[in-house]
Amino acid sequence: MSQIIDLPDYKEQSPEVASYFKDLKNRSKVLEVNRAGRVFASPKGEIEALKDVSLDVYQREFMTVIGQSGCGKSTLIRILAGLETTTSGNVLLDGEQITGPGSDRGMVFQGYTLFPWLTVKKNVMFGLQVSGKAMAECEKDALQWIDLVGLKKFANAYPHELSGGMKQRVAIARALANRPRILLMDEPFGALDAQTRAQMQAYLLEIWHHIDVTILFITHDLEEAVYLSDRILVLGANPGHVQEIIEVPVERPRRPEQFITAEFLATKKRLENLIHVSAPEHIDTSKMLGMG
Amino acid sequence: MGSHQPPQPWFRVGTLLSEKRSGVLMICSFLLPILIYSFVAYCPIFWGHAYELTIAARPDDKVEFGATYTQGFSMEEDEFTRFQKAIRDDNEKLTALYQQGDEADFGMSPRAARSHNKRLLREFEPVLSRNGLFDISVKEEMETKPYYQLLYGAAYDTWGEIATGKEQLQKGSLSEENREIIKKNWALLSSVSETYDSGKLYSKPIYKLIPQGNKQVARASWFPAPHQIIRRGWEDLTGKSELGDLNVPTRYLQSLKIVFFGFFVACLIGLPLALLAGTFSFFSRLIEPFTDFFRYMPAPAFSTILVVIFDIYDQPKIALVVLGTLPHLILMVANTTRMVDQPLLDAAQTLGARRGTLISKVIVPGILPHLYNDLRILLGWAWTWLVIAELIGAKSGLTEIIDTQGRRFHFDHVYPVILLIGITGFVTDQILASFRTVLFPYAASEKKGILSFAFAMVHKLFKSKKATS
Repeated sequence: MSQIIDLPDYKEQSPEVASYFKDLKNRSKVLEVNRAGRVFASPKGEIEALKDVSLDVYQREFMTVIGQSGCGKSTLIRILAGLETTTSGNVLLDGEQITGPGSDRGMVFQGYTLFPWLTVKKNVMFGLQVSGKAMAECEKDALQWIDLVGLKKFANAYPHELSGGMKQRVAIARALANRPRILLMDEPFGALDAQTRAQMQAYLLEIWHHIDVTILFITHDLEEAVYLSDRILVLGANPGHVQEIIEVPVERPRRPEQFITAEFLATKKRLENLIHVSAPEHIDTSKMLGMG
Repeated sequence: MGSHQPPQPWFRVGTLLSEKRSGVLMICSFLLPILIYSFVAYCPIFWGHAYELTIAARPDDKVEFGATYTQGFSMEEDEFTRFQKAIRDDNEKLTALYQQGDEADFGMSPRAARSHNKRLLREFEPVLSRNGLFDISVKEEMETKPYYQLLYGAAYDTWGEIATGKEQLQKGSLSEENREIIKKNWALLSSVSETYDSGKLYSKPIYKLIPQGNKQVARASWFPAPHQIIRRGWEDLTGKSELGDLNVPTRYLQSLKIVFFGFFVACLIGLPLALLAGTFSFFSRLIEPFTDFFRYMPAPAFSTILVVIFDIYDQPKIALVVLGTLPHLILMVANTTRMVDQPLLDAAQTLGARRGTLISKVIVPGILPHLYNDLRILLGWAWTWLVIAELIGAKSGLTEIIDTQGRRFHFDHVYPVILLIGITGFVTDQILASFRTVLFPYAASEKKGILSFAFAMVHKLFKSKKATS
């Protein structure tokens, strides 16, 4: 008979983890979202995508937003990037209200958004050039960032010559080159195969470890969320609202071996409960059985 | 040796054929129409036969044969047979008269007979010039009389040589029948003089030469044979034909100027408008509805107005090409501009790009491969307006050749010009298409054209040579 492990409460934190969070919350707030809401007008009437979403992201925090598809994750991150506007509430970056997209919030998208007509180097230089930096300086900076993501050899390659994982590494380098206050990542590894995905997660943690950057990361992969994050915001659907913000009780630095620790599994279990508990509402199994 | 792969079927839904097969079919696609045209052109069952006179004659029967028959005159087969028979009958009558002896009445005075004989010598000219025995171009530099003296002399001498069997005429230029007639004539003529002397010309009528002609397929004038088109096309292109003022190379440059200038002006006006319309909804709503309406008014309908405004020379023609191309250009390019990837625009904005930089650094380079394609297609449009454009005002360019020669039923001049326009448009398009892969290596390539196929073949050949050396 297989043994069912008794999982601890995901809210139990080891002293190290507890002090880590105490330290984290003493840092300055990079991003503050206050009761943000978004209503879309459609021919069938108004659709409320987000309702009263509030969250704080601290300096150098790694925060993940997780939720079912259609719960408004992407709308939220696009609002933070300034690509979408709120219809109520507000968003502050370093205490100042954001008004539109800007280089202080870098973004990495799920699809590949490298400029196909530019080489890797020129792609990374794009933001630097737009900001008006001297050409030589742009190039030097860009090469450093390319080196950081391990693509020195491909500096002069075009995006269509790169694999999916490599493309996303360039996209990360391109976003970081602008030295943004916060890096917004919208399911950046969603299109990658499992193995590349694991590699990219490790890469991202490595970069985050070396560079002073705050990250807000969207995913629908529960393990990815637990493995990467300090805190996880669980977004409920219809309309998108904050269900819970979980402090991940897994110690840092993170290693793949931690996937099977009790804290890890407990957190994952909690996420599963939060996200999947509402699923049966949509599928009436009794009806389906009745058909037979 | 080798793996046994099952043969690929030629017909399979949704599957591309191999490169080799595509190439074969591409060649067939051109060969097939050419073969069908050639078959119809050369096959007599569609047309019957005709004779193009190489030796003309004048029958006594002026009622049935009233026309002036000269070299190059074309006759249907039965008419030609009757024509020959009429001359043979004339000769038989003459034989009968000679048999009557001295009392015979030839029905003409000695003077009239001599001029009759001179005319027969004159009608021998085509045979002489075809064999290089007489140069008709001296006619331009000489007085009429000495020229004819020269011609009669040459014919007279040649007849003498024919009669004595010394001549070397090209095979087929003289029938056996006519040889015999010339021998008989020579017997008569040489009885007076061995060389031509207008004072000492035989004063009774001599025998007429039987008409000869080249047997040909009697195609309609609007269906010239491929070899005629090629030969005439080459003559026209190298300036060796009788077109004179309608010189093909200069006309060609005129036409090219109209097309490319018109296209250039259309781009100059249309591209900025299209770019604005594609980028900003404001301009899209402001520009596109009217443009959409305007393109339904055919450009040639404005031709008389354009002539009044721009005079009759190149300007109204260029204006017509612009008018015909511009609305399509604006709508097409605006659409292309709208198709730029939204995620790329989003990404650029999060990297700090604003309105101006977005247009210059993302939208323009982003649509460039598609824009290039659009412009290629629009250049094709410009070509379609050419002929109508050149007909307005003072006729010009290649169209003047088509129009004037066509009206005279000289379709062998018309076809090469039409082909020239087609080939130019097609080759330009193919060259531009093959450049696309060089200019935009990152853009997905479309279907392969003839030229890129040819490039690939040459490349392969080069590679295999390298490998063997």
